[in-house]
Amino acid sequence: MVHMKKRSEGALGIALLLPIITIMVILVYYPIIKTFSYSMQKMKLTAPQDTGFVGWANYRSVLTSDSFWYSFQNTMFLLAVVVVLTTVFGVCVALMLNVDTKLSGVLMAAAVLPWALPPVVNGIIWRFIFHPGYGFMNKLLIVFGVTDKPIEWMSSRFLLLFVVALVVAWRSIPFSAIVCLSGLRAIPQELYEAAKIDGAGRWTVFRYITAPLVRPFVGIGITAASISAVNIFDEIVALSGYSDLGKNLLIESYLTTFSFLDFGKGSALTYIIMLISAVLGFFYLRSLGKEVEY
Amino acid sequence: MKKRLLSILLCAALTGILVAGCGAKKNDDTNKEDKTTETKEITVMVPDWAVPSDDMLADFTEDTGIEVVMNVVGWDDIRDKVAIAASGGAAAADVIEVDWSWVGEMNSAGWLEEIEMSDEDKADMPTLETFTIDGKVLAVPYANDYRIAYYNKEHFKAAGIEKAPETWDEVYDALKKIKEAGIVEYPYTMPMNADESATTSMMWMAFSRSGQVFNEDGTLNEEAVVDALEFEKKLVDEGYTDPAIKTASGMDCYRKITAGEASFMVGPTKFVGLSNNKEECSVVGQIEAILLPGKEGTSDKTMPLPEAVGVTKFSKNKEAAKEFVKWYTSADTQKDLFKANSSIPTRNEVLAELIEDGTIENAGAMLDEAKLIKSPFPQGIPAYYSEMSNAIYNNINKMVLGEVSAQEAFDAMNKKVTELTSE
Amino acid sequence: MNTKRGKLLYTVVVIVFLIFTVGPFVWAFFVSITPEFEMFKNTMNMFPTEPTWTNYVTLFTDSARQSKILFQGMANSLKAVGLTLLIGIPVALMSAYSLSRFQFRGKRVIKNAILITMVIPVFATVIPLYRIFVAYELLDKMFWLSLVYASSFLPMSIWLMSNYFTTIPVEIEEAARVDGCGRIRTFFAIILPVAYPVVISSALIMFLSAWNQFQIPLILASSFQTKPVSIVTSEFMVKDSIQYGITAAAGLIAIVPPAAAALIFRKYLVSGMTRGSTK
Repeated sequence: MVHMKKRSEGALGIALLLPIITIMVILVYYPIIKTFSYSMQKMKLTAPQDTGFVGWANYRSVLTSDSFWYSFQNTMFLLAVVVVLTTVFGVCVALMLNVDTKLSGVLMAAAVLPWALPPVVNGIIWRFIFHPGYGFMNKLLIVFGVTDKPIEWMSSRFLLLFVVALVVAWRSIPFSAIVCLSGLRAIPQELYEAAKIDGAGRWTVFRYITAPLVRPFVGIGITAASISAVNIFDEIVALSGYSDLGKNLLIESYLTTFSFLDFGKGSALTYIIMLISAVLGFFYLRSLGKEVEY
Repeated sequence: MKKRLLSILLCAALTGILVAGCGAKKNDDTNKEDKTTETKEITVMVPDWAVPSDDMLADFTEDTGIEVVMNVVGWDDIRDKVAIAASGGAAAADVIEVDWSWVGEMNSAGWLEEIEMSDEDKADMPTLETFTIDGKVLAVPYANDYRIAYYNKEHFKAAGIEKAPETWDEVYDALKKIKEAGIVEYPYTMPMNADESATTSMMWMAFSRSGQVFNEDGTLNEEAVVDALEFEKKLVDEGYTDPAIKTASGMDCYRKITAGEASFMVGPTKFVGLSNNKEECSVVGQIEAILLPGKEGTSDKTMPLPEAVGVTKFSKNKEAAKEFVKWYTSADTQKDLFKANSSIPTRNEVLAELIEDGTIENAGAMLDEAKLIKSPFPQGIPAYYSEMSNAIYNNINKMVLGEVSAQEAFDAMNKKVTELTSE
Repeated sequence: MNTKRGKLLYTVVVIVFLIFTVGPFVWAFFVSITPEFEMFKNTMNMFPTEPTWTNYVTLFTDSARQSKILFQGMANSLKAVGLTLLIGIPVALMSAYSLSRFQFRGKRVIKNAILITMVIPVFATVIPLYRIFVAYELLDKMFWLSLVYASSFLPMSIWLMSNYFTTIPVEIEEAARVDGCGRIRTFFAIILPVAYPVVISSALIMFLSAWNQFQIPLILASSFQTKPVSIVTSEFMVKDSIQYGITAAAGLIAIVPPAAAALIFRKYLVSGMTRGSTK
């Protein structure tokens, strides 16, 4: 009897999952398998007769090109800067939103705004702010006497990448802050009260209660930020176009696929990006799966 | 209580969405019905600036019985969509935008249908040459664009120069005088950022100074290109250009002339209209369009950058699509299109008419220049154009940023171009 | 935080925060009222010397083409968001309920297989997706576009919801079951009324993310009747140049619906994510 019940239970459980499984298989898993098969083929659209299976040749040609490694470095630099900025400011914003004042409602809404901005408009705004001539940032810096000539933001590799990272961080902070804030709110008040009774100072409370309990949430924020850092596209195009200087792996993949019309090599590049994201995703899953004991 | 209220609100919201959703579906259904009752319907995928007015389309439908569905897509994105669709053997649309720079690859990929044109049409449309490969016309240009020079008469006068410059040496002298006289700080402007416009700029520079850009076999002509690069670098290094244009988008730097901050440039034909428009230009009446300068006297050729419409190979309504193309590029439609979108006619006859009757104001050398249009590509636009352009603009940008010399920039782009031509 | 120093610190942080978050929007507003020729002028003026309202006038003039496409784009986006929620929320609820309450073999694998898809970049799926859409004639159909949206946001919602469900004590459910309620009825009678914050917060996250989708609709929806506002704003161009002013103006109008949604439901954004803290 018990056994029977369990089996029918399991069947209902699976039945409830059927819609999501169908959606995922058709719209996600089938396409990525298909893309993998493209990546194993010679598929340059301007040479429609010359196609066929080439095994790992596309991957080899990608991995041995200087251009790939240059873009790879840029991707890694962006990853590091975006993650640091998003995490630091995400936590700060979360701490600020956690203070209950009359303003908090409005602040909360303001914090979410960057999330909803269409990417193109986002790009245009920042292009104006960091315009190499008399953009907003240059005007500010000149007014405050930091510089007397406009700074050419896009003319050196790491300055450009830093500006890109700043813009991406601006867009990813809302999510990170909200996840972090959820973590803060989830800490039971009793813990703080108990700590107070024990005579713990503010720092001790932060060190032994707040920090460890919020850490998994920060972990989620970090991984989400890293995934979006690996997938930066619109911001780079808005700020420096498809120039060699600031290109990351995604730009490289876009150029190969859509500009040079090499679908085979482009798919191989996309797959490499996906593998990098998947490694980050592994940590994501780990932090998602972690249970917090209060 | 509050919670219950919220649940109700939530339910109401969900129902609202449900209704909206059903509404949306209903719309889809009605669309479908339309499709089945109409026998001839074609889709046309062009950028915003190429869309004919509703009245024009209605007239076309009345005359031919062909319904036209406009798919307005961002210019860059059209290429992506056509490529993705074609890779699956499908047509993104029956009629598509074909930029001059795409025609080579689209031809090699076999995406375009040949279009029949009469000899008179061919003679009246100099830019048609750009879209002709191996004697086959693959797309018909609807919007003309070629490089023409602009100078600010007031700036030149203030520096004591009365005559419009005819050679690049005269341009250089004028720039020097204007800068020294302190009339403007950066009298020259030209795209040098790492994007497509830097490639075409180098090309017209070489074309106007040396009469060629490429050798017969499609490789870069070293003498012409190095000369152009050296001249560009000189203008930058000696401070005649705003440092900002090295990294601002190519299009932003053309605005320097309409903002009254630059005194001379070579740029798109569209600036004839823009420099006469109070909303776009702060120095209306000061800018004049003149012939491209050359080495000795004005250049006897200029480079075309037209846009065309073509019929896709995968289209299921090729005949109707061709009829649309014919109508869309006819003399009458070109007149209407100028009124609707100020796109410049590709038929010289129409262009002359519009200039003569004063529809196009302040035309300057526009018509004379149009007669000098010549394609710099000896064998048509190559299939590897975008890859070549990518190598060219990145090296130009490196050069103006001071990382490499003109010769080094040339060597790097030449290596890539030679590799591409031999493939 | 009751100390004077705390208050001062808080004020400073709030001001800095507002400058950085709202500042770019204010700047976008200035761009939207700057005439094109003044756009990149080499001047130290912070504000346009001759502000112009033409961009807004155009966008709010019914007969103007730009106005038509902008508001059709907004309507399209709203429809797509509506359909996405309609598909996404029930599917997410079912999946999350199953993953948090049922025991069966392969559950862990399925859960991970769903969650890991969050890392897949759009470019990895878009070409095959387009081919599927062509083969079954699904292009420019709102429902199918929304289904693709849903597929990319579902993992996050499922994760949020299943976490939330695990915090609801099983005992309540068991009590209901003893009373003779079936699993499904228990779900509607017991779980759903308690779990509404997470439903709202998931819906809000879907709303915000669906609103600024760009790559997917770019490939899958190009007709006037389906093209969302995020694409529309990118198409205010004339040959050779972006019309910055009108793009900025359109962009500012386009964020009104998501901003309003965020403002109204902001409370649930956090409480929905917080497991069980609103018990």
